[in-house]
Amino acid sequence: MIQFTNVSKKYDNGTHALKDINLTIDKGEFVFVVGSSGAGKSTFLKLMMREEVPSSGSITVDDIDLTKIKKRDIPKFRRRLGIVFQDFRLIPNMTVFDNVAFAMRVIGTKEKKIRRRVPYVLSLMGLNEKARNYPQELSGGEQQRVALARALANNAEIIIADEPTGNVDPQMSYEIVDLLMRLNEAGTTVIMVTHEHSLVRCFDKRVIILDKGTVVSDGGALIREAATSHINAVSEISNEYVVPPEEDYSAYAQDRQSPDYQGDSEPVEVQEDFNVTGGED
Amino acid sequence: MGNLGYLTKEGFRNLKVNKLMSVASITVLFSCLMLIGIAFMLLVNIEAFISGIESENVIMVYVDMEASDYEHIKLGNDLRSLENVAFVEEIDKETAYQEILSDLDEGLKEYLSGLNENPLPDAYRVTISNMEGFEEVVNQIKQLSGIERVYENSTLARQLEGIRNSVTYISLGMIALLLVVSLFIISNTIKVTMFSRRLEISIMKSVGATNSFIRWPFMIEGIIIGLIAGLLAFAAVWGIYEFGLSSFTAVLSSFGTGEKQINFLDYAPYLVAAFVGIGIFTAVFGSATSIRKYLKERKFVELED
Repeated sequence: MIQFTNVSKKYDNGTHALKDINLTIDKGEFVFVVGSSGAGKSTFLKLMMREEVPSSGSITVDDIDLTKIKKRDIPKFRRRLGIVFQDFRLIPNMTVFDNVAFAMRVIGTKEKKIRRRVPYVLSLMGLNEKARNYPQELSGGEQQRVALARALANNAEIIIADEPTGNVDPQMSYEIVDLLMRLNEAGTTVIMVTHEHSLVRCFDKRVIILDKGTVVSDGGALIREAATSHINAVSEISNEYVVPPEEDYSAYAQDRQSPDYQGDSEPVEVQEDFNVTGGED
Repeated sequence: MGNLGYLTKEGFRNLKVNKLMSVASITVLFSCLMLIGIAFMLLVNIEAFISGIESENVIMVYVDMEASDYEHIKLGNDLRSLENVAFVEEIDKETAYQEILSDLDEGLKEYLSGLNENPLPDAYRVTISNMEGFEEVVNQIKQLSGIERVYENSTLARQLEGIRNSVTYISLGMIALLLVVSLFIISNTIKVTMFSRRLEISIMKSVGATNSFIRWPFMIEGIIIGLIAGLLAFAAVWGIYEFGLSSFTAVLSSFGTGEKQINFLDYAPYLVAAFVGIGIFTAVFGSATSIRKYLKERKFVELED
């Protein structure tokens, strides 16, 4: 369980990134965090990863108080998180296999265990065939799946995805969220930060909308729609770019359901039995 | 750390990532260590030479040219009667002159013998039985009459000590300066490596690698630099020493002492230990500073390019 209590963050340069945030994310929940740039999304993530500490208030993750955690305990805490970045952050001179294995090696996992676990998480992401390829030989969507496999490698309890669909085409975006959804069904808490309202609309999940450092909406579809239109109205008046052009994701959603789906790029074939903790013995 | 193999491999990979900087650091550290080695071997030799001539228990006493035969013989007896004198050998100026002449080439020899004049004074070679009282005997001899000059090696020894001291100070200053430069260069090298591997470091931090795990490959990179520089410097000093020994000995033996060569290999273990020690210390210290700074300042979320 992740709990933010009266969290505010003010940077040294005077930016008041978050103002008095109160929210709780339960274990096993799937949450979208939506907001335009400057809304405080990245600060929200940095606080959760204990990259920054709040100026006031407290953040707890499963009884660990991130404002009081000792410096040397931070790495151990981060091993419970699986972080996915917008720019994938794959190491170009390592194969897909090694990129995933890297995350395990650097926390001292034994080679024997790595050799069992990596093919397993790659198969979860439908990347078995690509294990020996290098990142630049893959499409954006595939690269992001490698990054996701890496986030899963160490059995993360919480997946934190920072704009995971920012650099991939719309169809792949849908599939990546779909993958995250399946991970969530298997018990992982997923927090996905995005600015794409339209993508969020395709999935019936909790949405936290941040604007100018405060939570303007938190909940299901109806509340969300109201908030979105509010923001759009505000942006029209202030002439600010808030919500990006809409992409019609519903088409992909329907495609996925139909059995005779034939897209431009290959659909993701993932294992039916989606057990993220497998592949160890 | 059960992952030493992995970490070492990474350390070597770091060296390859920025070859140029690695070569630069090795070169600077190598030059520094080589100078230390040369200065050290120079000092060892001077030291051995000084103690060699200091332990020579002979005083040459030259008889005043103006002195009468009586004074000449009296001086000999006076010398023999001194305490702590083992024996006194009289060196006739004719014999000494012939000895010198026999060393010269024919033309010069004929010219000099043609002059029929001997510029050398008569002399006594006084051998001391106990070195402890050397200075005292010299002082006593100087009190005697009929002496032109007293020559003993301690004068030379004192002059050499002066040289040794200046050599020590100059080399110490240079060594300190070079060590600072090496530290700077190595810490810069590590900084460059860390920068070129910032993507990996950011991933390592985000997946929860401990700082020590992140640090090790860079430390190992530094250690390898130190090790290579140390071994190269050792080889270089050895080569230079063996090469320069002949001319060095020639200079020393012209001072009149016997061959007192210092065998390089007698000092080799100390040099290797010191070089590798200094090399590794400099490298580890240099890398540690830049790693600590980097890990403190760099966040893993932003990766500015």
